[in-house]
Amino acid sequence: MKPDVVVVGGGMSGLAAGVGLAEAGASVLVLAKGAGSLQLAPGTIDLLGYAGERVDHPLRAIAALAERDPGHPYALLGADVVADAARWLCSRVADGPLAPYRYVGSPEDNMLLPTAIGVPRPSALVPETMGAGDLRQGGRMLVVGFRGMKDFHPALIADNLTRATGGAMEVRATQIDPPALDGEPGTMRLARALGRPGVAEALATRLATVGRDDEVLALPAVLSIGDPHGVWETLQRGAGRPVCEIPTLPPSVPGLRLFDTLRTLLRRAGGRLVTGSHVVGFKGSGDHIEALRVHVSGGERIYATRWVVLATGGVSSGGLTLDADWRMRETALGLDVAGVPAPRQARFSPRYLDDHPLGRAGVAADGDLRPLDARGQRRWENVLVVGGALGGAEPWREKSGEGIALASGHRAAQLILGAEGSVSDSAATKVAQPIA
Amino acid sequence: MSPIEADLLVIGGGATGAGVAWDASLRGYRTVLVDRSDLADGTSGRFHGLLHSGGRYVVKDPRAATECIKENLILRQVAAATIEDTGGLFVSTPADDLSYGDEFLQGCADTGVPVEEIATDEVLRREPRVNPAIRRAFAVPDGSIDAWKLLNALASGITEHGGRVLTYHKVIALHRDGDAVTGATLRDTRTDEEMEVTAAFTINASGAWAGQISAMAGIEGVTIVPGRGIMIAMNHRLVNTVVNRCTMPADGDILVPIRTVSVIGTTDVEADDPDDLTVAQAEVDQMLDAGDQLVPGFRNARALRVWAGVRPLFRDARAQGSDRDISRAHTLLDHRERDGVQRFITITGGKLTTFRLMAQEAVDAMCLALGEDRPCRTREQPLPGSESGEYYTVGTRLRARESDGSDPLVCECEMIPRTRLEAAMRDKGTVNLDDIRRALRLGMGPCQGGFCTYRATGILHEVGHLDGATADAALLGFLQERWKGTWPILHGDQLRQSRLDDWIYQGLLDVEHLPDWTAA
Repeated sequence: MKPDVVVVGGGMSGLAAGVGLAEAGASVLVLAKGAGSLQLAPGTIDLLGYAGERVDHPLRAIAALAERDPGHPYALLGADVVADAARWLCSRVADGPLAPYRYVGSPEDNMLLPTAIGVPRPSALVPETMGAGDLRQGGRMLVVGFRGMKDFHPALIADNLTRATGGAMEVRATQIDPPALDGEPGTMRLARALGRPGVAEALATRLATVGRDDEVLALPAVLSIGDPHGVWETLQRGAGRPVCEIPTLPPSVPGLRLFDTLRTLLRRAGGRLVTGSHVVGFKGSGDHIEALRVHVSGGERIYATRWVVLATGGVSSGGLTLDADWRMRETALGLDVAGVPAPRQARFSPRYLDDHPLGRAGVAADGDLRPLDARGQRRWENVLVVGGALGGAEPWREKSGEGIALASGHRAAQLILGAEGSVSDSAATKVAQPIA
Repeated sequence: MSPIEADLLVIGGGATGAGVAWDASLRGYRTVLVDRSDLADGTSGRFHGLLHSGGRYVVKDPRAATECIKENLILRQVAAATIEDTGGLFVSTPADDLSYGDEFLQGCADTGVPVEEIATDEVLRREPRVNPAIRRAFAVPDGSIDAWKLLNALASGITEHGGRVLTYHKVIALHRDGDAVTGATLRDTRTDEEMEVTAAFTINASGAWAGQISAMAGIEGVTIVPGRGIMIAMNHRLVNTVVNRCTMPADGDILVPIRTVSVIGTTDVEADDPDDLTVAQAEVDQMLDAGDQLVPGFRNARALRVWAGVRPLFRDARAQGSDRDISRAHTLLDHRERDGVQRFITITGGKLTTFRLMAQEAVDAMCLALGEDRPCRTREQPLPGSESGEYYTVGTRLRARESDGSDPLVCECEMIPRTRLEAAMRDKGTVNLDDIRRALRLGMGPCQGGFCTYRATGILHEVGHLDGATADAALLGFLQERWKGTWPILHGDQLRQSRLDDWIYQGLLDVEHLPDWTAA
């Protein structure tokens, strides 16, 4: 079978592209090296949190950023694509296997959610299970930890949140015993336990006894992998108060939920996901890549394809690498990487939290997401670059990583569908479907 | 605060100073050891971890070689728990002069360093990563020694014998009464409180800073040339034996397996300031290339961290000695003879391997000056933790872990369980995670603090009853401290790891917007 599209990478950008294409009728193969980067991410969709100053209205700020910084991925995409992609994702999660679990929020406004160290962090779209943590509402919060859990420290969170809100919010902390577990109370073990019958009910009974009636209860993000809506509802009902999740260090439970959701949607639409695979070469002719050489299951396979979506991510995902001679490569197709300081030039600043010269390195692309070579020429006509592999952004500092990944993945699907007239008609209706 | 009264004030919490304080405590002197920072935060904690057999010096500096092998054998008895008995090899790579091997053998015979020439295929059987083109090889009793463990053991020994250890106490003035040094004013660098120490005798063991300290006593001309060298820790034990190049001492001539890493050293650049620990890109490239001579493919192996240390090389402005005398041997300056200043000695130079001998000579000189006969006991008295005489082995922590797996690990890389971390935080009473690193190796593994920095901060906040601002400062300080040693070598998998850490700290936790990080 010759897939219409091979997507390389199983994170946010690759799955957004893959689901969009498959649901529009394209034949899609997603090649993923591992479990994808979503399990590392907090599970929120951060469109733009900081552009120098903190961003309150991401779409507006993205439009301004696109004007100001033509090398930024958002300049290639534009605010409308971002808005469209955000609505699309919300609709897909709402139709997904975890429904009625859904995402709340809007691309117009950032919420401020507590991080696991107690910083109010701007996010646009967040799981419903986090929404009650929005610090813009003020009020009181009780951070509830589980004794012995090393990846969640309620007292520190509470101290920092109180200071961060200038005392406007009163945030307290408490610790309770974790549910009975077979081993130490780690994130995954707690999440699995809360998915088992009776465990959430018992926790809800316990939560009813902590804190005051007017406090939002903030728990680590462990409210099950498979039934977050049900567990969350059970806890809120039992506690008689709003409950919210705070994302923890990897592995991230909300990130896994999003990964499971998108993977299920991909498969439902007939797409395939092959994990444990990585691209080791390709066959190209002129300005087209005709096939990818892929290491999978200890052997090598050739996948012929009409389109390639390169969604391999940045350095942290292995999509880009810097070698010992200080040269940077794109690892799957050997594309040129822009924004790399010359050998013997500073790559990093000595101060950790400063901007680093290498920080924005990545593949340069044009408005159709086609990769550009070092001379600024299109390298391949049928390759689209999405997500963290794109240069020009500092995703963690900007809190823009998921937004760029989602919007560029979504845009890549639209561009391919647009070029393939035959499938694009059916796709257009789905893609443009508004959400409630 | 009332002044501390002591028989002996020792300035400098490196191996030499702690060794002096340990030696003096064993001889019954009430001793106070002070350092402006933590123990082993200077040169002692910034070397490659080699316990010298002496082989490195048998040709160039025979006296140093003999001292090394004697001390090597003593430390194996009294400080066994801090030592890994790796053994050492001297190998002639294709780039090395083969005839040096004969000089080397002769030098070993002359200086008493045990040596055995072994077949190169035997070397490659033992150490498969070593350059297969080596032409000769010699085995010597090198080892590796954990300086932080050593200093912690010395500190325990000092306090067990009635001494005091004051870290983060900087000497801001030395006091003289006539021609005698009588004590010092200290400033607690964490609280800015000042404190007086009166001491019958003062020993300056401040290494590369010895000139600055002796100047406070009005003594001129103690010129320490800071010889700065960089070292790079590789993520794996590329070798399990210390591997030296069989050549005259040169840059990048040694690879030391220590704990879970291997360390290549070193360069030698004359610095103006002992506090200048700059790592130059050219030196990094030079070390990586040198490593390739010993272990082909080294340059592309995963480098974990780089740091610089300064050798204290003494050049006496008063004596017109040859440069030979500023080599690796140590120097004892009796300021009574040299400068007419009583009750004050400087001991400097030397190597970590010979710290015990240096301490003995310094305390012997003090006894002589005081007219007392109290014999040295450090040759026989094991350090706390080394009573059984068992060497450290690389599986020690794993063995402890396997015997009690119920205690959750806070730092998986270095296998540090939570109760151990909490105990160290209580014992040290510190708000600085780098102190915990030196005590337990927190954050020294492959992820360089990626996970444990957050966890340890949360635990420190709880255990130490800290406020949020202090805890945040601990976290940001440790992130910066970890970054300091990684950014100059970041590439390949370690860069990827580092970006994952950014994802956690900047992306997920958003530490750059902690309430007052700019103040931290």
